[in-house]
Amino acid sequence: MPALDDGMPLFVQVAEQLADDVVDGALAEGARVPSTNEMAAFYRINPATAAKGINLLVDEGVLEKRRGIGMFVAAGAQEQLRASRRKRFAEQYVDPMLAEANRLGIDTDTLVSLIQGPGWHNGGSRP
Amino acid sequence: MTPTISATALGRRYRDQIALDDVSLTVEPGIVTGLLGRNGAGKTTLMRIITGLEFPTAGDIRVFGQVPAENDEVLRRMVFVREEQAYPDLRVEHVIRVASWFYPNWSEDLARQLLTDFDLPLRRRIKRLSRGMRSAVGIVIGLAARAELTLFDEPYAGLDAVARQLFYDRLLAEFAEHPRTIVLSTHLIDEVADLLEHVVMLDHGRVVLDAPADDVRGTGMTVSGAATAVEEFVAGRTVWHRQRLGSRASVTIADSLDFAEQAKARAMNLSLEPLSLQQLLVHAAGVSADEKVSA
Amino acid sequence: MSTLVNVARYHLVDRMTFVALPWGIMAFSFLVNVVVSATVPTGPQGIYTGGLATIYVFLLASGALIMTRSLPFGLMLGISRRSYYLGTTLLVVALSVVYGLGLTLLQLIERATDGWGLRLHFFRIPWIMDGPWYQTWLTSFVLLVLFFLYGMWYGLVFRRWSVPGLVAFIAAQILVALLVVVAVSMTHNWSAFGHFFTTVTAIALTGVLAAVAAAMGLGGLSTIRRVTV
Repeated sequence: MPALDDGMPLFVQVAEQLADDVVDGALAEGARVPSTNEMAAFYRINPATAAKGINLLVDEGVLEKRRGIGMFVAAGAQEQLRASRRKRFAEQYVDPMLAEANRLGIDTDTLVSLIQGPGWHNGGSRP
Repeated sequence: MTPTISATALGRRYRDQIALDDVSLTVEPGIVTGLLGRNGAGKTTLMRIITGLEFPTAGDIRVFGQVPAENDEVLRRMVFVREEQAYPDLRVEHVIRVASWFYPNWSEDLARQLLTDFDLPLRRRIKRLSRGMRSAVGIVIGLAARAELTLFDEPYAGLDAVARQLFYDRLLAEFAEHPRTIVLSTHLIDEVADLLEHVVMLDHGRVVLDAPADDVRGTGMTVSGAATAVEEFVAGRTVWHRQRLGSRASVTIADSLDFAEQAKARAMNLSLEPLSLQQLLVHAAGVSADEKVSA
Repeated sequence: MSTLVNVARYHLVDRMTFVALPWGIMAFSFLVNVVVSATVPTGPQGIYTGGLATIYVFLLASGALIMTRSLPFGLMLGISRRSYYLGTTLLVVALSVVYGLGLTLLQLIERATDGWGLRLHFFRIPWIMDGPWYQTWLTSFVLLVLFFLYGMWYGLVFRRWSVPGLVAFIAAQILVALLVVVAVSMTHNWSAFGHFFTTVTAIALTGVLAAVAAAMGLGGLSTIRRVTV
């Protein structure tokens, strides 16, 4: 069962997990989103909470409601989410990394070489 | 829309004790409300008054807009599953069958499914069942009745964690498929926290909290790490609790943090832990107790 | 209406207490009496026994049991106390009609066989239940209802006020009886009192018993109003 407990309101966490799936492409544009009941059962939460999470994404334009059929991923949702997350990327990932590097006395050049390193992210091993 | 339950200045006193004191609340239709509080807080008394088993000594109670006591029309639309329900000397199957006659929305299929899920011996006399199994019988009736207003008062006495989770899952599934108004009283708050849409907390017979669950959730966070960093981070915020251990500190603040603030905390090498609903409610009860003392 | 019927059905699920046992106990008492009258030499009038009282006494107990043991679950079923009481009374009336008929038939057979060949008067109570079949039926019906309701009232008094309540209840009845005795004595009406009993017909007495039964019913109904489980 996916952990839902990182301090944000439950419905926000539900929205975030759905958004994650859209960003990853697991939920393709035009694909049908699970119903509130399905999500409620999956996360073991109240259906109203699941509905609130979905509505959050509807308000942001990530999901759209098709009357009588259900909730679907809106066109352009993936790119929209990527763009907004890119904005958060610096705050969420880069700043903490820089702070930690600072604490450990890792200078910028070392940091850059770590990032560019002989492709540990390409499957290679650490230098 | 008429609230399903409406209590106004409700009071219940016994000769030596005040069980409920000036309780006013409403329960809207179709939501799951957690009725929380310590043992003896008045949860059971309140539910008994709602279901007409007890009579208030002060104030007013309405269910579906009418007084519930001795009102067949209203009582028929409710089911109340209690801790320690006394049954006559009948077999499990008989008890279930009798219950099925009285509830207009009864689902025989669901009853059978639940009897299997909880592994209940149909032919055995209820008196011979273990405490947990007797609780399970109550739960079967409570869920299969599909009553518009379903009340559970700590219905899981004697049920192990697996059976309890089964109850919560079935409750959730039933609520999703056939929405109804549910009031669930419990002191195992964290087990049901995610099911609740609204929470009402009683303490010594009074309402100390009455709010949507989302308003309560996430309103508290514990920040831990190096003391100086922690203090810097929590500066200017409402602090509920402070703990020190050498050069480390753990401070509980009354805030929910957005992504930016969380990232900042992580950058400062602080760890964050949200307060569970149970912890938040314990805090709320403590706050009200302090207010009473200082008032 | 169907709620009341369902309450009646609820009680009947436990057929042992309301069907098997009353008749079983009475059958046992009957057998005992048969054996006794078969072995003990009897005079010309035959043996008169109060063994029939067992069924009435047992119904008293059944009534009390309905209100103590079966009440908590009954109220859980989403019904008012009034409905529970009236539904139970409906059952009581129905059972009493049927049981009364049964007793009447047994009385007729007893008369036809001259006391089961033993001149045993078990089902024929002199004067009150020894007459035409319809009168026997009516009288036994009223008596059955009376004992049932009386027992139910006891059960309810116990539920509501526990043992002290029971004691007070019994004491109150004794007090009422004493008051009647005192009143009759003070007004020197003993001869009139006795005269009433010698001249009243069985039917009239049945009427009085019916009034008593109704009083029991109302008493129980008012007691159950505030019973908590």
